[in-house]
Amino acid sequence: MDDRLDLPQGTLDLLILKSLSLTPMHGWAISERIHDVSRATLQIPQGSLYPALHRLERRGWIRAEWGASDNNRKAKFYELTRAGRKQLDAESDAWARLTKAVALVLDMG
Amino acid sequence: MFNELWSDFRYRVRALLRRDDVERELSDELRFHLERETEKYQRMGFSRADAERQARLAFGGVERAKEASRESRGTLLLETTLQDIHYAVRGLRSKPAFTVGVVLTLGLGIGANAAMFGIVDRLLFRPPAYLRDASTTHRVYLSEIESGGNTRTEHNTQFARYLDFLRWTHDFSSIAAFQTRTIAVGEAGDARERPVTVASASYFDFFDARPVLGRFFTAREDSVPVGTPVAVLGYAFWQTEFGGRPDVLGKTIRIDRGLFTIVGVAPDGFTGMTDQGVPAIYTPITAFAWALRGRDYSKNYNWGWLELIVRRKPGVSFADATADLNNAHRRSVVTEYALASQKLDLDATKPKAILFPMQLGRGPEAGQEAKVVAWVGGVALIVLLVACANVANLLLSRAVRRRREIALRLALGVSRGRLIRQLLTESLVLAGLGGVVGLAAAQWGGKILRALFLPDDPAGGVTDSRTLGVALVATLGAALLTGIVPAVVASRSDLARALAAGSRDAGAARSKTRTTLLVFQAALSVVLLIGAGLFVRSLQNVRGMRLGYDVVPLSVVSLNLRGAKLSPAESNVLGQRLVETARAVPGVTLVTPVASVPFWSNEGRGLFIQGIDSVRKLGRFILQSGDTNYFRAAGTRILRGRGFESTDGPNAPRVMVIGDGMAKVLWPSQDPIGKCIRISEDTAPCTTVVGVAEEMRIRAFDDAREHTYYLPFAQYNDEPGAIFVRVNGDAADYSAAIRRALQPLLPGAAYVNVRPLRELIDPRMRGWEFGATMFLAFGGLALALAAVGLYSVIAYGVAQRQKELGVRIALGASRGSVVRLVVVGGVRMVVLGIGIGAVVALWAGRWIGTLLFNESPKDPVVFGAVAGVLVVVAVVATALPAFGASRVDPNVALRAE
Repeated sequence: MDDRLDLPQGTLDLLILKSLSLTPMHGWAISERIHDVSRATLQIPQGSLYPALHRLERRGWIRAEWGASDNNRKAKFYELTRAGRKQLDAESDAWARLTKAVALVLDMG
Repeated sequence: MFNELWSDFRYRVRALLRRDDVERELSDELRFHLERETEKYQRMGFSRADAERQARLAFGGVERAKEASRESRGTLLLETTLQDIHYAVRGLRSKPAFTVGVVLTLGLGIGANAAMFGIVDRLLFRPPAYLRDASTTHRVYLSEIESGGNTRTEHNTQFARYLDFLRWTHDFSSIAAFQTRTIAVGEAGDARERPVTVASASYFDFFDARPVLGRFFTAREDSVPVGTPVAVLGYAFWQTEFGGRPDVLGKTIRIDRGLFTIVGVAPDGFTGMTDQGVPAIYTPITAFAWALRGRDYSKNYNWGWLELIVRRKPGVSFADATADLNNAHRRSVVTEYALASQKLDLDATKPKAILFPMQLGRGPEAGQEAKVVAWVGGVALIVLLVACANVANLLLSRAVRRRREIALRLALGVSRGRLIRQLLTESLVLAGLGGVVGLAAAQWGGKILRALFLPDDPAGGVTDSRTLGVALVATLGAALLTGIVPAVVASRSDLARALAAGSRDAGAARSKTRTTLLVFQAALSVVLLIGAGLFVRSLQNVRGMRLGYDVVPLSVVSLNLRGAKLSPAESNVLGQRLVETARAVPGVTLVTPVASVPFWSNEGRGLFIQGIDSVRKLGRFILQSGDTNYFRAAGTRILRGRGFESTDGPNAPRVMVIGDGMAKVLWPSQDPIGKCIRISEDTAPCTTVVGVAEEMRIRAFDDAREHTYYLPFAQYNDEPGAIFVRVNGDAADYSAAIRRALQPLLPGAAYVNVRPLRELIDPRMRGWEFGATMFLAFGGLALALAAVGLYSVIAYGVAQRQKELGVRIALGASRGSVVRLVVVGGVRMVVLGIGIGAVVALWAGRWIGTLLFNESPKDPVVFGAVAGVLVVVAVVATALPAFGASRVDPNVALRAE
């Protein structure tokens, strides 16, 4: 296909948490942001975003609230909770260590 | 962690309770996303329609995203379950007759089990209330091989033995002796007989109970041989007799002949080890025994009246503890024989101490009731199985009728797993309703069962947590048993064929399943009815048995002198006056003093006969005595020789009448009349046998080693044990009149007890009575269920075969032959069931045989009668629908569909 990557299992949660760490956003904005920031490398099926959001909300890492979007339409905004911030820290940390370790192994050859 | 759980919980609850809101929000959210995406593409220059298509493409399936979101809410399982329940309830409400039938069927099955469990638990499983660490406590049984070669095992023993065990064992942290007996409590006029537990002070160490008032008695108050007369009141007795007043401490209460000081009140629900009646009072053995005997009872081994319980020390194994106790017991037996200067052969008698669980029902002396109850508990289970088979059959028919609906649902994409779950949910709802009905039935039926079977039971209420647990398990089991077969069969249905065939039953496999269930039901009914038949016959046998005396017209009068001291002469005069006064009561025909009373008390003395080495070895010989009226009063027939005459006075030559069995045992081939028996000592003067009479059944209904001999009262030289009063009619009707006439003759606090003899004998028949009643009730229930099952299956089959039958009739088959066709098919199934049931009953008979009375577990009369009943029921249950079938109008039948 093209050079866009499918997401490894579980990383979508991390990306969502990271995106929300800056400012509360609605679902479409999150998908746009990940798309833009990754320079269109990361391929997220937009439909899979919502189950992930609901799962994160259930676990108490993000909180949802209905508000007005920039063009004044009703949209569901998600924001990070304190537990979510902690989770983000822990997961970024784990991710960094994982990639470093994988890189080390790959560099060995 | 906790926060996460809490958030999770809150989320799920909201998702569940505000499901519509959550759903709408999800739709709104996704729509918003798609609109923004569409706008994005429009800004890129796509037309509105193209932009929308691009947006949808980028998003993927909207419905799939929704479903995945719902799943991540974590409530899917619950939601579909609720949906299934809703669906099941709707389905059941649309068929009220079916639903009520099934619920009642299961309710009866579950109720029977819950009620029976209450009784089984009470007799066999539940340890006594408040008992501390039941796993280290045991009841002590002592066994020895009797001279005849039989091993006798008893749990009653002597106080001296208890002291020996205390002295010579090391492996026990506590040993307690106790007995609960019925004793007169209160002052003369107000005295009532009440259960009183006489116990060693160590008794209370076994329980984790604290007195609600005062204290329990101490080892100091239980000192050997003279204890302090103190009493601890039972909670219920304290409530009813003392109004629960706290100032009872220090008051005195008369127990039998002694005055006891109240020192405490036991907690509510405490009954100690007793399984008969709630003790009103607990009092030290040593105080009670001293008051009763008035001499040192603690050193001899003659008075075996106490029960023993022990607690192993921590870390001591069961085997070690048993060995330790055995050693002590052997030593104790050696001491006992040495004391009586008797020769002892330990190798022959092999005295043993054995430890058993605390419940008497689980020991070697388990009453017949305990065994019968265990069986009837099994019977209740069978009834539940029959009920389940019936319901499974009905559900199966229903599933077959619903095949079209089920096939349609399968075609529409409902998964088979989901379908099975739905059908199981339906049977779970049915079983749940059945469980509720069952508990109501158990609550009501349990009361009757208890009244019938545990009339003295202290604990009330069938619906304790253990019974509820059993009812729950029975309910779930019933749901699974009834649901699984229909669910699997239904979900396996072949789509195309099912849709094409309509509701007609095409599958031979399914009708085979139903036939199997039906045969199974018939077989179980046969087993139960055979059991019922065997118990009914046993009851008949025991009721019809000649006991050697009449029962209904006899009253037993006994005295409790309560310490009134009478000289032998005074006592004689009192006895005379009582007999004369009783004889004057209208309706009374004959009166005699007696030495022994059946199933209550009996006398025995050593017998010595020239030429016989040891009379003791030949059996247990019980002494009865009476005046010249005795044989006519008791209704005992003289078989040979004569009875007692007025010439057999105190100074006349000693005479006796012996039982026919005794005559056979002592002189197998000689005439007993004129023989000489020496009583008590081998140097005593001859007592000459002058007659042979029927033997009395005194301790058991069927002990071949138990024999009776009769001495004239004038030569008996002892106080009477009681007085027999014979009336015209039923003795129960005269009790009050006799008591009224006799009570004024008694001195001081003494009082008179009048009891119909039947009251002493009926409880002994309770085991058979219970077995007969319960087997009959459950067997009848099972038969009714099986008959209904047979009827509905045949009726259903006839409805399915209407076309075929129509063709047969159209082709000239007579109506009679159609009826025969249907009936033979049904009866064949039942006959198969009878065969299987009979085989099972023969096999089970090996164990039930010991519970019967003079009845073979293979009694052909019972087997034949049951088979006959089943065939008749089968013919009736099949003939009704068969006649319906024979009236099929071929035109209508062939035109249908």
